[in-house]
Amino acid sequence: MKRLTQLIGGALLALGLASQSLAAPAAAPIHFGDITWESGSLTTQLLRFIVEKGYGYPTDTLPGSTVSMEVALARNDIQVIAEEWAGRSPAWTRAEQAGQVFSIGDTVKGADEGWYVPAYVIKGDEQRGLKALAPDLRSVQDLKRHAPLFKDPESPDKGRFLNSPSGWTSETVNSQKLKAYGLDGQYVNFRSGSGAALDAEITSAIRRGKPVLFYYWSPTPLMGRYELVRLEEPPFDAQAWATLTDPSNPEPKGTRSLPARLSIGVSAPFREQYPELVAFFAKVDLPIATLNSALATMSEQRQAPDAAAQAFLKANPSIWKAWLPAEVATRVESAL
Amino acid sequence: MSTGFPEALHVSFADSVNRFVDWLVLAYGDQLRAVSDGLLQLLVGLENLLRATPWWLLLALVALLTWHATRSVRRALLLSGLLFLIGVVGLWDKLLQTCALVLVSTGLCLLIGIPFGILLASRPLARRLLMPVLDVMQTLPSFVYLIPVLMLFGLGKVPAIFATLVYALPPLVRLTELGLSQVDPSLTQAAQGLGANRWQRLRRVALPLALPSILAGLNQSVMMALSMVVVASMIGARGLGEDVLAGIQTLNVGKGVEAGLAIVALAIVIDRITQAYGKPR
Repeated sequence: MKRLTQLIGGALLALGLASQSLAAPAAAPIHFGDITWESGSLTTQLLRFIVEKGYGYPTDTLPGSTVSMEVALARNDIQVIAEEWAGRSPAWTRAEQAGQVFSIGDTVKGADEGWYVPAYVIKGDEQRGLKALAPDLRSVQDLKRHAPLFKDPESPDKGRFLNSPSGWTSETVNSQKLKAYGLDGQYVNFRSGSGAALDAEITSAIRRGKPVLFYYWSPTPLMGRYELVRLEEPPFDAQAWATLTDPSNPEPKGTRSLPARLSIGVSAPFREQYPELVAFFAKVDLPIATLNSALATMSEQRQAPDAAAQAFLKANPSIWKAWLPAEVATRVESAL
Repeated sequence: MSTGFPEALHVSFADSVNRFVDWLVLAYGDQLRAVSDGLLQLLVGLENLLRATPWWLLLALVALLTWHATRSVRRALLLSGLLFLIGVVGLWDKLLQTCALVLVSTGLCLLIGIPFGILLASRPLARRLLMPVLDVMQTLPSFVYLIPVLMLFGLGKVPAIFATLVYALPPLVRLTELGLSQVDPSLTQAAQGLGANRWQRLRRVALPLALPSILAGLNQSVMMALSMVVVASMIGARGLGEDVLAGIQTLNVGKGVEAGLAIVALAIVIDRITQAYGKPR
């Protein structure tokens, strides 16, 4: 028995020494939040590749849900969230006010969100033999006439509007919009539960050529893969927007959504420690059309995000070279 | 990226699965949606019935049922009081939706689970083949089959029932099988000697003797169905799970706890009632 404990003790000691000697020389890696939606994971891998090969810092990812990663960023457990829809979540806003997190840059200009239908609902699709079911559908106001088209199987006398999962900021906005446009009597406000479920339902409907009305946003693979039409809404108005973001406002007014600002979220210690990376992050600018089509390819060919990121860097050198100092760009290029 | 395992031995069947699901959606999507509509009508009907019943009547019914099961007035008051509290925090409507979902999936569990349990108990070959299937049902992460099921049957309550069924069925099958295989063979032989046929032996001798075990299985099934409520809400089934999910996603811990405790309260109520029926009196 005594021999055994000695043996175990010795082994543990050796293990401890070995792991210490291994850990000592390597610098602590920069932890990226492993965000799971497609544009986020692609951007994460893009940034990681450039930071590792161009600047020579080791990086790693940690998985988690969006909110838990925002909390982790505030505590510096992770250092970077590659795609942050800043100002959309209360957890983020609180941490930003406390000076624990910063949003750097404006990474995707022209990111969009709104209510969409597949183009074949309006134009038809001769190749697939689909008739134009609502040739006059242009704006959200036209939806009043077309509720039976988007029939909800759970309450067949109404149409179904696929809202985002409850808990997302956009869910509140869309619910208020339904009221503002006078559609709440004719349409069921259907919360999809999770992003994956929303995607699956839309994809299934499009594959079968059925009419479907849903909330969606870009940059996303869906936008690059399928031809979707955004329904027109009144031009953006800040006062009306305030009535839409407040779930308890009884008289919401319609307006299109606040143009989304996507940025890179970093923790306060990271901002202190790596000024050269912060300068690079501030310059990141991904053109939305290129990004959408890269995402579509990634999703169609089911590429892993890191492979897709390398393909993106190879295919579009002019885009990323503009973000980087010349010698860093050369190092990245030679690593490709 | 991957070091260690030789790359020449890598085989991935992901692409074939993807193509198969896509083909399934194209070829049978519309028919399967029609099937799911039938199940949906049943569920929505039950939900509307529960909603049309006044809240105090429902509480009284629960109290009556508890009293019938336990013969204890105190317990009847306690359990209906728990449900009353769920109403007090403003979750009554969601409670009814969750109840309807759990009732329908448990009903389907009974319809499918007990015959399968009998089959497993009487046919060793079926037992050998189906036991691993039950293991898979209990351990396969539910989102793996949920998303394809969702694409085929549509978003909302039907795939939620399906997911609950897959997860909650195994304990009922296992415990039915266990109960039946523990019935003393001399009793069924005696019944045979008295001229009872197979059906009579099962119906009059084996099943009544296995009843406590079957009811324990039912109890486990209901509990597991309740634990699937949050997953169900991730595919668009409304109810208490929706609030838990929204609470987590917005870091509204209070809201999540309220809804979470409501699920626990509902579980306690159902558990105590079914357990009381399972105990020999």
